[in-house]
Amino acid sequence: MSLVGFPHIWSKNSSLAFAQDGEIKVGVLFSLTGTTAIIEESLNKATLMAIEEINANGGINGLKITPVVEDPASDPATFAEKARKLVLSDRCVSVFGSYTSASRKAVLPVFEKQENLFWYPTLYEGRECSKNVIYTGAVPNQQQDDFIPWLVEKFGKRWYLIGSNYIYPKEENNYCKKLLEGLGAEVIAEEYVPLGHSEFSSVINKFRSEKPNVIFSTVVGDSVVALHRQYRAAGLDPATMPMASLTTSENEVAAMGGDAAAGHFTSAPYFMVFDSPENQRFVEAYRSRWGGDKVTHFVSESAYFQIHLFKQAVAKLAASDIGPLAIREAVKGEEYKAPQGLVKVEPENLHCWLRPKIGQCKPDGQFEILTQSADWLEPNPYSAYPNQKCTAEGLKEV
Amino acid sequence: MSGKVSRQILLYGVVCLAILIVPVLVDDAFLLNKYARYLIFGMLAIALSLSWGYAGILNLGQATTFGLGSYCMAMFLKLKTVPIHTGSDGLPDFMVWNNVTELPWIWVPFHSMPIALLAGILVPALFAALLGWFMFGGRIAGVYAAIITLAAMVVVNLIIIDQQSYTGGFNGITDLARFEIFGLTFDAYSASTYYLVAICLTVTLFLALAVSRSKTGLILQAVRDQEERVRFFGYDVALYKTFVFALSAAIAGLAGMLYTIIMEFASPTFLGVPLSLSIVIWVAVGGRQSLLGAMLGAVLVTGVQGALSETEAFLETWTLVMGGLFVLIVLFMPKGLAGAFEALVRRFPKAERKGGARHATEQTSKSQPHLGGAL
Repeated sequence: MSLVGFPHIWSKNSSLAFAQDGEIKVGVLFSLTGTTAIIEESLNKATLMAIEEINANGGINGLKITPVVEDPASDPATFAEKARKLVLSDRCVSVFGSYTSASRKAVLPVFEKQENLFWYPTLYEGRECSKNVIYTGAVPNQQQDDFIPWLVEKFGKRWYLIGSNYIYPKEENNYCKKLLEGLGAEVIAEEYVPLGHSEFSSVINKFRSEKPNVIFSTVVGDSVVALHRQYRAAGLDPATMPMASLTTSENEVAAMGGDAAAGHFTSAPYFMVFDSPENQRFVEAYRSRWGGDKVTHFVSESAYFQIHLFKQAVAKLAASDIGPLAIREAVKGEEYKAPQGLVKVEPENLHCWLRPKIGQCKPDGQFEILTQSADWLEPNPYSAYPNQKCTAEGLKEV
Repeated sequence: MSGKVSRQILLYGVVCLAILIVPVLVDDAFLLNKYARYLIFGMLAIALSLSWGYAGILNLGQATTFGLGSYCMAMFLKLKTVPIHTGSDGLPDFMVWNNVTELPWIWVPFHSMPIALLAGILVPALFAALLGWFMFGGRIAGVYAAIITLAAMVVVNLIIIDQQSYTGGFNGITDLARFEIFGLTFDAYSASTYYLVAICLTVTLFLALAVSRSKTGLILQAVRDQEERVRFFGYDVALYKTFVFALSAAIAGLAGMLYTIIMEFASPTFLGVPLSLSIVIWVAVGGRQSLLGAMLGAVLVTGVQGALSETEAFLETWTLVMGGLFVLIVLFMPKGLAGAFEALVRRFPKAERKGGARHATEQTSKSQPHLGGAL
């Protein structure tokens, strides 16, 4: 019995082309069960809808996109298993999926070692420079560059930072603190609560005694709902002490109720109320496909437009050339008129140029868009670390 | 008696041989990786069968020791990667993200492979021994012991998520090097890694069988059935229970180390409640008083689960279907598949004369009230 093994046995399939029998297979990897299923289901729906749209319009150069849907059940290990199935067994040319950073990190080795391509629609903390991921969500500089100065000017310089205790809030705060320092503002507290924390009375007491001008909240998940409700129940006033968030979307507001969220601010590249012909089409199509009460939000919008970027990239390739790495090269610099406005894939770091907006939540659960950035904003996943830069050759010290 | 023992060894040997020849028949990287993962779950089931089936200790936190083993291996492999942010002598990426400036002391020994491998087995074993010493020394048993194991796991899990500068927190430890030993590289997708897992499983299975057949094994079964009586005979019941609890933890630790190699990351979900309860289900389905049954139960349940969730018709309902199957099995086969198999064998008079199956079943029925209390 040989222990040496056959490290390349999967290559027995590599002679097969990715586009075959008039179809091209892609993986769709969002949790349909488990703790993050509520939000990930909306991403699954937006993804499938975009695929259906493209197929209804004749596919890509006559090739039909066939989605292979798997349920990773909100569990990182299952994410890794299903990603393997999609890449190795189904031979998908790309996989669209995942919401949390933990699940993205769990599938990364599969895509990097098998030289496949993963499309990640969620905003995240940055500081990642993978050559096998197309990131279509916002990174810290895109959500904060306009937002933080705007808040300082409008409300004041005493800031309270509250977040869930993991890497995403810490990285967002690292960048926020840098911006605040440049603006001469003061961080009066930086506090982290455990993930899933739902008892905020001591935190709210501190809000009351410290009287910050702005509460910068990077609390995520169910904690967002608890924090907003308890803030409201404590009788604090968003007009003088607003919470500013990067993660509170229409989806979270629907969970907590518009009353609890009203008056607070969110910065994001997309809001459901955004007025553009593309968005009108997107919202109408989404509601007629999945139900009139459904909301779209900034992650589902990315999940939607990344399929169209994929389509444009594949359309540039001859059928026999279609493969994960060819698609990656083809998508570099590609532009698409998304519901949020024109977006572009940055060739250097594979993140997207996006159009950040500042929204204030209203009691009906929708946002009012107060300002939007004059132009699209370059993605810089290492914005808090000016001596590092993500380039097409990998991470560089500058 | 000796005929029965050799027949059992033969059966176990045949199963292990079947597992070992799989790579000859299956030339598919994805399937080998998937099967190796199931075999690791099989090792976990053996570990729980030892403590629950043989000694009556229902461990609802078996994943704790599995996770500790997994983190030991992940720490070792993490130190072998070249961090992209800091260069070859740099700190692991997540430490840089958490503004850690020098390698924490707890990480330093993991530069050495022998220490890391030993730690993967000894850390879980010592953790279990300590917990067991407190529990069994204090004569805590049954449902209370089960609750303590569950609570201990939640505590360890919380610490790992909270101490993110040392553990990678919620995201776990990712971006690992490949495991290399004696000049062999164990790629997660290779036949060699499958063999590594299969051999560890075989060794574990026979080790557990040997323990269960030894004098210690008999005393443990006696403890399970009538703890007080064994104590009156002058045996140190707490010591025996602590021993099997730690042995079970060591097996789970080994399984955890292999799991990191197979999955290429470690995550706090590896020592979570869902996995721990799954292990209990696998063992219940397979038959808790049969090491082989429990092992096959794990492979079967996780295999069916994987297949079902990949069937388009069950995409949104597979968890419900699995739940229904478990209820049916527990209702109609309280001794699991191994119990059902033995009952089937017992119908043949020849086998009954040998008494092997009946012997096992009698023990089961005797222990029933005790375990009923534990659940």
